[in-house]
Amino acid sequence: MNDAIIEIRELTKTFGATRALDGFDLSVAEGEVHGFLGPNGAGKSTTIRVLLGLLRKDAGEVRLLGGDPWSHAPELHRRLAYVPGEVNLWPNLTGGQVIDILGRLRGGLDEKRRQELIARFELDPTKKGRSYSKGNRQKVALVAALAADVDLLLLDEPTSGLDPIMDSVFREYVERFRDQGGTVLLSSHILAEVERLCDRVSIIRAGRRVESGSLAELRHLTRTSVVAELARPPAGLAEISGVHDLDVEGTRVAFEVDTPRLDAAVGVLHRAGIRTMTATPPTLEELFLRHYGDDLSAGEGSPETEETA
Amino acid sequence: MTGLGRLTRFSLRRSRILIGAWTAVLTLFVYTSAAATDSLYKTPADQISAAESINTSSALVALYGPILDVTSLGELAMTKTTVTYAVLVMALAIALVRRHTRVEEESGRAELIGGLAVDPRAPLVSAVLVGALTSLLIAVLAAVADIAGGLPVAGSVWFAGSWLGVGLVGTGVGALCAQLSPNARTCGAVAAGVVAVLYAMRALGDTTSAHWLSWLSPFGWSTQLRAWSDPRGWVLLLDLLLAVALSAVALGLRARRDLGAGLFPERPGPAVGSPRLADALALNLKVHATSLVVWTVACAVLGALMAAIVPSIGSILDSAGTRDLMERIGGVGALQETLVAALVSVAAIIVSCFAASVVGHGGGEENDGRTEEVLATATERSTTFLAVALLALGGVAWLLVVTGAAMAVGAVGAAVSAGQVLAAALVQIPAVWVVAALALLALSWHSRWAVAGWGLIVAFFLVGPLAELLQLPGWVAGLSPYSHVPKVPADPVSVGPLLGLTAAAAVVVATAWWRYRERDIG
Repeated sequence: MNDAIIEIRELTKTFGATRALDGFDLSVAEGEVHGFLGPNGAGKSTTIRVLLGLLRKDAGEVRLLGGDPWSHAPELHRRLAYVPGEVNLWPNLTGGQVIDILGRLRGGLDEKRRQELIARFELDPTKKGRSYSKGNRQKVALVAALAADVDLLLLDEPTSGLDPIMDSVFREYVERFRDQGGTVLLSSHILAEVERLCDRVSIIRAGRRVESGSLAELRHLTRTSVVAELARPPAGLAEISGVHDLDVEGTRVAFEVDTPRLDAAVGVLHRAGIRTMTATPPTLEELFLRHYGDDLSAGEGSPETEETA
Repeated sequence: MTGLGRLTRFSLRRSRILIGAWTAVLTLFVYTSAAATDSLYKTPADQISAAESINTSSALVALYGPILDVTSLGELAMTKTTVTYAVLVMALAIALVRRHTRVEEESGRAELIGGLAVDPRAPLVSAVLVGALTSLLIAVLAAVADIAGGLPVAGSVWFAGSWLGVGLVGTGVGALCAQLSPNARTCGAVAAGVVAVLYAMRALGDTTSAHWLSWLSPFGWSTQLRAWSDPRGWVLLLDLLLAVALSAVALGLRARRDLGAGLFPERPGPAVGSPRLADALALNLKVHATSLVVWTVACAVLGALMAAIVPSIGSILDSAGTRDLMERIGGVGALQETLVAALVSVAAIIVSCFAASVVGHGGGEENDGRTEEVLATATERSTTFLAVALLALGGVAWLLVVTGAAMAVGAVGAAVSAGQVLAAALVQIPAVWVVAALALLALSWHSRWAVAGWGLIVAFFLVGPLAELLQLPGWVAGLSPYSHVPKVPADPVSVGPLLGLTAAAAVVVATAWWRYRERDIG
């Protein structure tokens, strides 16, 4: 794949006994907004740090913008901007100073867009780093990144401290960046954000990729929920393969069906006479729950257990 | 007070290594001083003449305080510990209180605690308790060490009381200073300044006719307690009253301010970065700008104060005891020259702290993720390393030049020439570079080891006296880079050791650089 901006194959990274990344694969094509989904601790930030050349890989192949991120970090970094998940500012520098120094260290920023972003994000650039709230610290990093003339944005949970209005400003600028041909890797565990912004999605779990594809492709793997009111009880619905959780109460039916078998299932309903029907496409939420559902139910309350141990 | 007990136990647990290491070093030093002194003097007359010779040297009195009863073995044995090492007790108390108050507030962790069922006053009161309990622990162990070293029980206990007093005052100073600024570093700098002023007031009071100045400083009280003969116990009440007053004012200020805020509101700064802020070195310089200015002024004042002592030494009796003592710390030569060499060696240790602070801060930058933000730009690994290394290495050289120049100007009229004084300061630079280089190596190995520089300074400072007291082989004392510096101007400037130290520093810095480029960041 020649036009891949990010190409990761079989990446492994261990910290002591912990395997943070365990044969991880990722491919991000030029011009796409790629959602990078996974629960806390799945390896999202580790992946991004390897891509930035901050961490050295143990094994595997990593290419970023056509180069090796470890040995050619400074040259590659001229063409990308990074927003960390937790933004720490220098306590005695103002937000404006931080935006400018980060811009200059990267090789310059668009002065006009800098002004515009500060206004749109309603950021006070004269405050010192220590007096900003979490959301405002994030805005400083976002302004510095979005005002840069780069080909790639690496965003590590960039909106976790933003309110919904600022969130929409953020989305607007990411879309504008994509429309101008830019590529974005957006790590997140906020599914709605990824659904709204991303062309393709990769899901990481315990250091491995478990799913990757366009949203349409991923939905293909999932079930549609159908609820219908019929003229008479349906016949033969249970016999269709791919229908799950079937619940028939007289003329009212509710079930889930594997999306490829949707047509057959609706055919059965049609023959029974459809009065009302709602079919809900799967959300990323459900995709997510399918991958982590087991863990979520088994691991409930485990964080507290760790705390007290 | 809700949560006080839990918070205090939690803080003690978090600081157990700091407290343990510091306590162990101080206790060991007290014990070796106590145990070694008896065998050092064969007859009571020897001992008295040694004590008198200390009293006749205003430099030593400025450094250690006077010996009020020259017949007391305990007072002679504890010369250095009564005042000079009490600074370390006060410093630990300040560091502990700052660590569990302002540092917590600055990092935002205090908010986590503030959201719990904890009395709003509890964090500060608990930090004061930690400081007080640690002082008590050190005092008890110091008393035991003195008694074990063969000194009289009553004197040992009173001496330990003076350390407890100094520790309590340090706790109060720390609590008050932590209220002043939202920046923990500023609070620490103010507290360090207070310690320096208290020490200088005592030094002036002990060496000039303005004796009342010594009575304004807790370090003066430690001497005036007369722990070893005819003790004045009420002096300890002064320590206690001052500590309680400082803590009470601190609590009052805390009640009137918001969490995380300083005494004064934060002023807005420039909305754009100046064009000079364009690389990692300029950024690091900007971050350390205030600290560098404060250090420069402090070194100039320190140099001037040290120079003020030099001419006075010519006028005092050239007793054999003084000469013997001065030669031990300053090499062979005229008294003034010896004194200059001894003073600059103290300055070198103080200036080394700047390097430790810069390198330690570099590790903090990395832990907090700011180094990552810089390295995610087109900045090379080597540049971020050099930004720290150049500031540490260049900073100490600059500060020694400032100290030397101030001393040279202040010593005009003394028998030692200005050029000799300046040279004495400059030959210290390679030794300080070795210390800075080792701290950089620790940072390069892992960011969390970046504070190792502080431990190195204490270790190198103590290894000489300890090796002497314990009669260890010569190479042990030679582990300290400071021990290889020619004692200029008493001895000539010998190029060999200076080149050796510089080469050692260069090799260590190069190793650190290589390692930093290869390792994971964060």
